[in-house]
Amino acid sequence: MKVFDIYGGNTLSLSLFTDVTNSKVLLDSIQAGTLEPEVALLNASLIADVFPILVAAHKTLVAKSRDALTTRTLHSELVYNYSGSKHITESFKRFGISDSSTYILAARCNASLDEMKAVEKLINGKEIDLEELAARANEAQIQKHYKISGLEVGLSSLADAITCRIAVRDAL
Amino acid sequence: MEVDKEVNDGSLILLKQGAEARVFDSIFVGRRCIVKERFSKKYRHPTLDSKLTLKRLNAEARCMTKARRLGVSTPVLYAVDPKLNTLTFEFIEGPSVKDIFLELGINGVIHERLDDVAKQIGDAIGKLHDGGLIHGDLTTSNMLIQNGTDLLVLIDFGLSFTSTLPEDKAVDLYVLERALLSMHSSCGDVMERILGAYKKSSKQWSSTLNKLAQVRQRGRKRTMVG
Repeated sequence: MKVFDIYGGNTLSLSLFTDVTNSKVLLDSIQAGTLEPEVALLNASLIADVFPILVAAHKTLVAKSRDALTTRTLHSELVYNYSGSKHITESFKRFGISDSSTYILAARCNASLDEMKAVEKLINGKEIDLEELAARANEAQIQKHYKISGLEVGLSSLADAITCRIAVRDAL
Repeated sequence: MEVDKEVNDGSLILLKQGAEARVFDSIFVGRRCIVKERFSKKYRHPTLDSKLTLKRLNAEARCMTKARRLGVSTPVLYAVDPKLNTLTFEFIEGPSVKDIFLELGINGVIHERLDDVAKQIGDAIGKLHDGGLIHGDLTTSNMLIQNGTDLLVLIDFGLSFTSTLPEDKAVDLYVLERALLSMHSSCGDVMERILGAYKKSSKQWSSTLNKLAQVRQRGRKRTMVG
């Protein structure tokens, strides 16, 4: 797990898991709102780099500080913001976890060390280094979901293209 | 447990102040960035002022990212804050085309260098125009050459808008032509090289360049009213 400073003392903790076996249980408890501690679980194959996640977290924390969340909780907002789309249900389907997910990124804002330990216990899988994100990402799926054309891929990285889409969504 | 040490200290260093916005140098989630703040105009009615400011802020963010989708390099947009009226985007390291051309003017023209830059400018404008995007403020100080890659990056989309009219495209080119004439006449005819590359890049070059000839005759404004 790794901790990133976002702004003004707010942090985001990330842990990456592979070979996860209990995603159905996790999904059910998220949907029931009983996951404790509250954590965002993302489909890690759509994440090629940590930076866009940090940008989404920044946006989420700023919205939280203004009491302007669009979705019900801080961590669902993180998934929604990362999606770069305005369609909440579709965002959760694509960028959240499904019954059969095995490769998951767990993210929690302002988490204590104990809370992240608890998150690691919740998820039945093998924790791996965040460096693995780039190699394991499904680039074709990323390009499809974010509608990234070949032209744009030619001039910048996928992470840059995703970052722009996250930032510009509410201006569209 | 590792802790990433790059802290966003929130410090802002003023770089430039214009008529519409202030530009700051800062740090965003561990990366160097530019913050562009559109301030309110006290002489306008408050309701009108906040509407105009927000509309222009969003328009600039949209145009910047649209240019990227069309294959023209622009800074990566990091955040749009409609409450503080700020845009946060990537800090591009490198000189402006204005500085490069001025230096070429003083130290003697290196033709390969000039050709390369002019070709990139014409190519980029052609892509924007074919995608229906007008930059609106094409001057050599709004073009940067990124260190390391030597790639052209367009900045300042504050006056950009979408249009497919040859008239708007021609005026866009005309503004650049005037800027080149007044700043960089010692570099020779750069505009000719830019238009050469523009022709290759834009499929609709013919109607635009015809219009450009008309615009040259009469100047930037279409009518003499207003």
